[in-house]
Amino acid sequence: MFYIYLLSGLYLGWSLGANNTGNIFGAAVETKMIKFKNAALIAAIFITLGAVFEGSGASDTLGELGSVDALGGAFTVSLAAALSITSMVRSGIPVSINQTIVGAIIGWSLFTKRLLDPQSVVTIASSWVFAFLLSAVIAFALFHLVRPLINRSKMHLIKQDLLIRYLLVAVGAFGAYALGANNMASIVGVYIPVSPFKDISIGGFYTFKGTQQLYLLGALSVVLGIYTYSHKVMKTVGKDIFRLSPVTALIAIFAESLVLFFFASRGLYNFLLRHGLPTFPLVSVSSTHVIVGAIVGIGLAKGGKNIRYDILGKMALTWIIAPILAALMSFVMLFVMQNVFEQKVQEETHYIFDRVTVTRIADDICDIALLSPVNGRSFTSEREIYGELKTQEELSRDDIVKVIAVSEVFPMEVSLEKLAQSGYIHSFNEEQLEIIKTLEGRSYRHKWELRDALEKHSVFESVKEPKTGLQKNHNKELDNLFSLLYHSFRPGTGKK
Amino acid sequence: MALLLKTTRFVESQIDSFLDVVSDAAMTFQLAIEDYIHGRMEQFEERLAQIREFEHRADDLRVSVERFLYERTLIPENRGDVLAILESTDEIIDNIKDTLVQFSIEMPGIDPTLNDLWLQTTRASVAAVEQLVYAVRSFFRDLAAVNNHIHKVYFFEREADHIGEKLRRMIFGLDIHLSEQCQLRDFALHIEQISDDAQNVCDQLAIFAIKRQL
Repeated sequence: MFYIYLLSGLYLGWSLGANNTGNIFGAAVETKMIKFKNAALIAAIFITLGAVFEGSGASDTLGELGSVDALGGAFTVSLAAALSITSMVRSGIPVSINQTIVGAIIGWSLFTKRLLDPQSVVTIASSWVFAFLLSAVIAFALFHLVRPLINRSKMHLIKQDLLIRYLLVAVGAFGAYALGANNMASIVGVYIPVSPFKDISIGGFYTFKGTQQLYLLGALSVVLGIYTYSHKVMKTVGKDIFRLSPVTALIAIFAESLVLFFFASRGLYNFLLRHGLPTFPLVSVSSTHVIVGAIVGIGLAKGGKNIRYDILGKMALTWIIAPILAALMSFVMLFVMQNVFEQKVQEETHYIFDRVTVTRIADDICDIALLSPVNGRSFTSEREIYGELKTQEELSRDDIVKVIAVSEVFPMEVSLEKLAQSGYIHSFNEEQLEIIKTLEGRSYRHKWELRDALEKHSVFESVKEPKTGLQKNHNKELDNLFSLLYHSFRPGTGKK
Repeated sequence: MALLLKTTRFVESQIDSFLDVVSDAAMTFQLAIEDYIHGRMEQFEERLAQIREFEHRADDLRVSVERFLYERTLIPENRGDVLAILESTDEIIDNIKDTLVQFSIEMPGIDPTLNDLWLQTTRASVAAVEQLVYAVRSFFRDLAAVNNHIHKVYFFEREADHIGEKLRRMIFGLDIHLSEQCQLRDFALHIEQISDDAQNVCDQLAIFAIKRQL
């Protein structure tokens, strides 16, 4: 059943392969610097590697937007995103998978009455604009760096041609890697919470994680897109959208690849954090918009003539229209899926305000008197609780979100066997597993109860009031580990 | 990589050899005209034979470069431009040879009073071709220098036109038969045409250089 539901995600992958590979190799293939078969092979290999090894970076931010927790929901969200792309592309508007998937997830959050995190929406939306501008700035700078270099080198045209060919292959491979790393979250990211793939240990040396297996499948759909349809698109991209010489194409692709990599690499993110430098949000950005940004940068470096402002206008429009269209489509389709086809699009969730949860909230979050509208009651959606509590002026939105998290009923039983069966056991180190073992057989009704039990031990201890990026990242990584435990210890999981 | 670099080195050397041949042909043309004017006919015929040889070599080199560029799909973006330059430059050697062949066949009588003007016109035309060769070499290696050489080609072409016109006026001022005047005029025009050809290649080259700029 999972594989049938995954089809809409793979359709998204196919369209990424068909459309977005052109953003990397279009100019090189069209200027005949690289043959299509070579470009396709390089793209296939490096998109797959990028997806498998770095793909998880950008998926965290999408997860913050809304963790689609039922297969039917993931299928519908992907399908809504894919159909939005198709409808907008048919209207001649350049659109990206990232914008539609974000819109579709927002549609799911609205439909399932989850609370939307406005901070994540702002982070993602501003990243699209920021990535575009950053790409333009990098391309502008690279142009001014490369031009004098080439002029001074006095390299023979033939040798220069050969060098550019090699660089186009190298930069294209890097771009394909960055594309796989950055965009795979948009393709199969929504399936992560419902994925049946388990971690596989290869000879005890390397763990092939469940998410990586899912990303590999997504990457294969991208490869299919590359081989079946991308040649046609590459020709269009290389000719119609922009006309670049091999050298300027190289600059544009390099700028694009750098930007995609900045927004996808967890390794770079951690490196910057460790050195106290500002980080890039790990967000899926559009390769189409990034390459157009690079071309604008080159256009400006050449004096600002011949920039096609009509394309820029259309692109800016998609930053607004695409997510809205996808959200609407997702909402309507989820309604149809749930009510006409009677498919489960979300896990049933209950929120209860009994003695245990209210005491915990009173201890940690706010005065008990403020909970009077919800005290003693139970709810089935986050929005209902929010509606009741927002009348309390002393409660901030963040407080209400914390209250909701505490009240969520999420029964679990700690079992190392279940953790092993779910495949996530390899994500934990020996010390952490020893701690989990001490809780073997214990049952918890709320996520925070398990977390409290584990946080008593230093290996699971989070920083209470994180100030630095490093501390925030530490907490985020712990959150991810706890999510794996919740997912594994829930009844009905781990024995698929 | 090493094999590919070897290939590019080979093509580079072929192009350089082609341009050397063009330069040699132009200088030999000047020497041949000097020989003719000073009546050293045997030496003139030897120069003509040399130029025939240069023409064949230039053709062979040009075809070889063309074949290489197509077979190895080298410089796809500039291939058409490069081949157009090589072909146009090759035509200059053809014209040089044709002019000398005409001298050899028709043996026009040169009035010694005009010797200097004939030589000056020839030198200006040959200088234009030599500057063209520099310009083409720069097109491959040093784009910034192309315009400098193109400017010199235009200068020598104007110079050749200017002296050539003076020569033609003097020819029609000579006390010789009209048919002889017309014959000498044609030869003067032939020599001027060489600098015109160099200028035509430069017109193309200027556009191609703009296309090659980043």
